[in-house]
Amino acid sequence: MTLRVLVAVDGSLPSGRALGHVIDLVRAGAGLEIHILNVQIPVESGHVRMFVTPEEIDGWYRDEGIAELEPSRIALDAAGIGYTQHIAVGHLVETICRYAAEQAFDILVMGTRGRRGLGGALMGSVARGVLAATTIPLTLVK
Amino acid sequence: MEFLFDGGFWLSVLQIIAIDILLGGDNAVVIALACRRLPEHQRNRGIFWGVIGAIGLRIVLIYFALHLLALPFLKIVGGLLLLWIGVKLLLPEGEDEHGRIEGGTTLFSAVRTVVIADAVMSLDNVIAVAAAAKGDIALVIFGIVVSIPVIVWGSRFVLRLMDRFPVVIVLGGALLGWIAGGMLVGDVVWHDRIAARLPHAALVAGLAGAALVVFVGRWLSGRMTARSAPLREIPLDGHGDG
Repeated sequence: MTLRVLVAVDGSLPSGRALGHVIDLVRAGAGLEIHILNVQIPVESGHVRMFVTPEEIDGWYRDEGIAELEPSRIALDAAGIGYTQHIAVGHLVETICRYAAEQAFDILVMGTRGRRGLGGALMGSVARGVLAATTIPLTLVK
Repeated sequence: MEFLFDGGFWLSVLQIIAIDILLGGDNAVVIALACRRLPEHQRNRGIFWGVIGAIGLRIVLIYFALHLLALPFLKIVGGLLLLWIGVKLLLPEGEDEHGRIEGGTTLFSAVRTVVIADAVMSLDNVIAVAAAAKGDIALVIFGIVVSIPVIVWGSRFVLRLMDRFPVVIVLGGALLGWIAGGMLVGDVVWHDRIAARLPHAALVAGLAGAALVVFVGRWLSGRMTARSAPLREIPLDGHGDG
């Protein structure tokens, strides 16, 4: 049986480790269908839409997303594992959770810096937000 | 140099920086988008001249705004506008605005887009900064210069901060309401009469303005977000933009 896995990545070191963990699982024989997802924070306001076409804005999201997906693509290609890539736009926590639930994934995987204290409170908290909000099984990789 | 030790001076500087960051995110996005299609070696020059043009224009606009605000009734008008700007900051984005200028692929057209966009977009910013500066052009320039690096290079961080902590936006709205309140009672038309009856008028009006913006903003946005938007996915394969 094949499980559909969604790996949320942003090109950072922790998301690289999360993907490495998934690659390890595949090498150990797990039947996984891998999807990598990058979420872009929406940048357009009414003002921005006045001066830039929606196609330009989407093109920007695509470029930024492709760049943030790049390390994951390289790792998966090097491991010879097939995958599908996605870019979505929205509030980070909400979009990751909704994407995983609406596309009926079996497992959600993402990295976390695992920071404590102020640094963790400020930056490392997307994983914590997803942990609180997700409705499907979640693996956090530190 | 004694102004450096004045608490009121630094409070005004902090307010101006906060306004520039909160209301300047738009500009950073337009600059990035307008220069996106430029060839690599021209992109940084486009960003540089776009920023220079936008900031010069803004200082000129604020200079005029400072002088206009000394006229009767204009602080009342400005205060009311600022209350509306504060409420608008708290509202989710609508789909209503159209009629755009093309980004273009030459250095000149990119810079032109940035400057024109800034002239249109900085109205809210100009009113807020002029009010916070209380007539001091040096303060305006100082605040703008300090916030340039944040707007140009830190927009990603600001976006992330707002994504993680939506309360930042509420605080920004409250700040604008606070400035608006002080501005309303500070108009020359009634400033002396109010000051005679209410010793702490600016404080009271500021608190009332902040509370009003947050209350109205939350109430309106609560009504607007009732329907949930579909998830937005950007297609990767086809070259959709044609």
